[in-house]
Amino acid sequence: MNKHCATIAICLAIAMPAVAAENHGGDVVYTKPVKSVLFSHKLHVEEKGLSCDMCHARTFDMQALKAQENADFTMKSLVEGKYCGACHNGTMAFASNTRCAACHTGVKGGGPPRGGKH
Amino acid sequence: MKQSKHDLGSTKNEGMENVPMEERRQFLKMGLAITGIFAGGTIFSAVSVIDRVFASSEEFTAQYPYKPHYGMILFQNRCVDCERCVAACAETNHVPHEGYRTRILMKEMPDAVGLKREFIPVLCNHCNVPQCTRVCPTKATYKDPVNGIVMMDTSKCIGCLTCQEGCPYNARYFDEHRQAVDKCNFCFDTRLSKGEKLTACAAACPASCRVFGDLSDKGSDLYKAIHQLERPVWVLRPEAGTKPSVFYTKDTSAVAFK
Amino acid sequence: MANGAETAQLTLNGLESMVTTRLKSGSMGYYFLLLLCGGLVLAAAGLGIHAMVAGHDKYYNVYREVPWGILISTYVFFVVTSTGLCLVSSIGHVFGNQDFMPIAKRSVFLSIATILSGFFVIAFEIKIPWRMAIYNVISPNLTSNIWWMGTLYGVYLAFMFAEYVFLLLDRHKPAVFCGFSGSVAGIAAHSNLGAVFGLLMGREFWHGPYMPIYFIASAMMTGCSVIILFHFLGYRINKEEMPVAMKKALRVTAKLGVLLICVILFFTTWKMISGLAGRPAGKYEAVMALLSGPYAVNFWVFELGLGMLFPLVMFIRSKGENLKMMFSGALAMIVGIFVMRYDLVVVGQIVPVYHELGVNEYKHLLSYAPSLYETVITLGGFGLTAFLFLLGEKLFAGHKVEENH
Repeated sequence: MNKHCATIAICLAIAMPAVAAENHGGDVVYTKPVKSVLFSHKLHVEEKGLSCDMCHARTFDMQALKAQENADFTMKSLVEGKYCGACHNGTMAFASNTRCAACHTGVKGGGPPRGGKH
Repeated sequence: MKQSKHDLGSTKNEGMENVPMEERRQFLKMGLAITGIFAGGTIFSAVSVIDRVFASSEEFTAQYPYKPHYGMILFQNRCVDCERCVAACAETNHVPHEGYRTRILMKEMPDAVGLKREFIPVLCNHCNVPQCTRVCPTKATYKDPVNGIVMMDTSKCIGCLTCQEGCPYNARYFDEHRQAVDKCNFCFDTRLSKGEKLTACAAACPASCRVFGDLSDKGSDLYKAIHQLERPVWVLRPEAGTKPSVFYTKDTSAVAFK
Repeated sequence: MANGAETAQLTLNGLESMVTTRLKSGSMGYYFLLLLCGGLVLAAAGLGIHAMVAGHDKYYNVYREVPWGILISTYVFFVVTSTGLCLVSSIGHVFGNQDFMPIAKRSVFLSIATILSGFFVIAFEIKIPWRMAIYNVISPNLTSNIWWMGTLYGVYLAFMFAEYVFLLLDRHKPAVFCGFSGSVAGIAAHSNLGAVFGLLMGREFWHGPYMPIYFIASAMMTGCSVIILFHFLGYRINKEEMPVAMKKALRVTAKLGVLLICVILFFTTWKMISGLAGRPAGKYEAVMALLSGPYAVNFWVFELGLGMLFPLVMFIRSKGENLKMMFSGALAMIVGIFVMRYDLVVVGQIVPVYHELGVNEYKHLLSYAPSLYETVITLGGFGLTAFLFLLGEKLFAGHKVEENH
């Protein structure tokens, strides 16, 4: 059941840029190197007010999930300031090596626990 | 009863340490004779209290009855439910599809301040006062007298499932292929007895969530993680009185990645 | 019709002809029932063996979190009944209360029949029963209540069997000895069965000294109802008028039944209150499931209504004279007690062990409903008791006791 949810979420995330009504990329679910991390464009763009090129200029390709194909897409590089770690460094946002379950949703692939689903 | 002999010299005060051994035996025998068959298991389990291990954070001078006294501490905040441990466990120990020896539970608090989700890995707690071994009619499950691991002798299991009822941690399942109840044994047969130092789950964890080792080894990371006052250390379901060898903690410092 | 006293001087031929005549005396309805019950037992055995071979997990609805289902509760029901029959009947022929004398023979026979039914059912619940036969003997665990229970019930069965044989042979002294020993073994075994549940630290609904004590009291209660039920039926089957002494025995049995229903009502009241006061974690949720949750109908209608209040009213209103009233009370009581055992076993498991942790997986109460296989095997257990009862009525000619003592 939960795995299905994750699969659906992944499909949605891939399809999102084409159908998205909003002017951002929606939810992106990373499954490598571990399952799963949910990146919410809504949270980062709408609520936190980040502009597209803050990340998409250099850190992340516009194509969703391209980053996770790279061999250095690991927690170790994040801590060293790459990818998410560019902001999640303890000064701009919480450090990459803390608050693990804030981004990691696990194999069960629960969404961002903000809604009242459970 | 073998176990009790093993650690009588080293137990902590149970209020009886000044009573000579012979008198204690006499007393226990007397109790047995009186309560006889009606008491069934009860009196024996009362005796086994001397096996109690004071491995809570308050008890710095703990004495452990086993050598090595295998145990584990889980850094709950590090778990991200990647379930590599679950997969590694299943592969290493041939856990059938319908069963599991370790599992990750998810707790969500949508209205919490800050972090709104946490993962709680669970496994056999290798209790020092195990319910399962007490209730097993045929000693198919037993506490290993050397290393304290709660083991299964699958050939003796009659499948009454009383151990499953007794376990306060839901750590046991019936394996239809082996035709016996089965459970985590800290990978004793598959890894530890072959010279490996870690269980499959601990070795597979990418976030050092599971620290496995010898509770009685003062130099071990496990010992150091438990015997300190700076971080809270707890066990699951302490009210069940099982004295687990599996502990939980959270650390606020940054996680170190391999 | 042959008298029980004759059995002492039997030849093999005489025995054969006697058995044949007795069996031939049944009506068509009797044979139909006998066949039906026999068929039920065979069906249950067939399904049970199939599940054993093909894998219990495919055919039973028990699962990891709820490993015990209706087969365990049915086993408990039968051994409760057996112990109750043994205890209530021993008041007469073991402890010398004349009023209870006439019910001894049939009750002892039925206590054997019910415990065999219990063993029949549990044989299909235990996954690898043949290992039990070996390792209970060569690798006993003396701290295990299950081990004591199993062993003591074995001893109990042997004593009850011997007692019945001595009763048949009209050898009073050894029968009394066996009856006494059987009662002791039965109480020990049965309280250990209570302890199987009561000494599990992690199961709040069961945990505590309550279970072993409650089991004995409810066994006596069950014994009273079963004695009334089967004696009423026995005389129906044999189409005989009930003698005065027997009527008197049933009257005192009903009186004892009233007392024991009150005891169990008292027990139940405090069990529920202790589960509510202070909302003890784990126990509160289970008690609420009984009082106002998914098991409320079971509790209020079956356990309380049919199991206790209706028979209480019937037994009292019958004044121990109106046999039909007593019979309907006893029948309702047995249905109620069966549900009581089911609730006791199932409700003890519905609060997940990690409920307090507040994790998504174990937020809600667990559920269980018996599968087809489990249901048929349960019915098979009842079939076996009924089959043995029907057979016994004819074979032993209404379990008559001579009137001379």
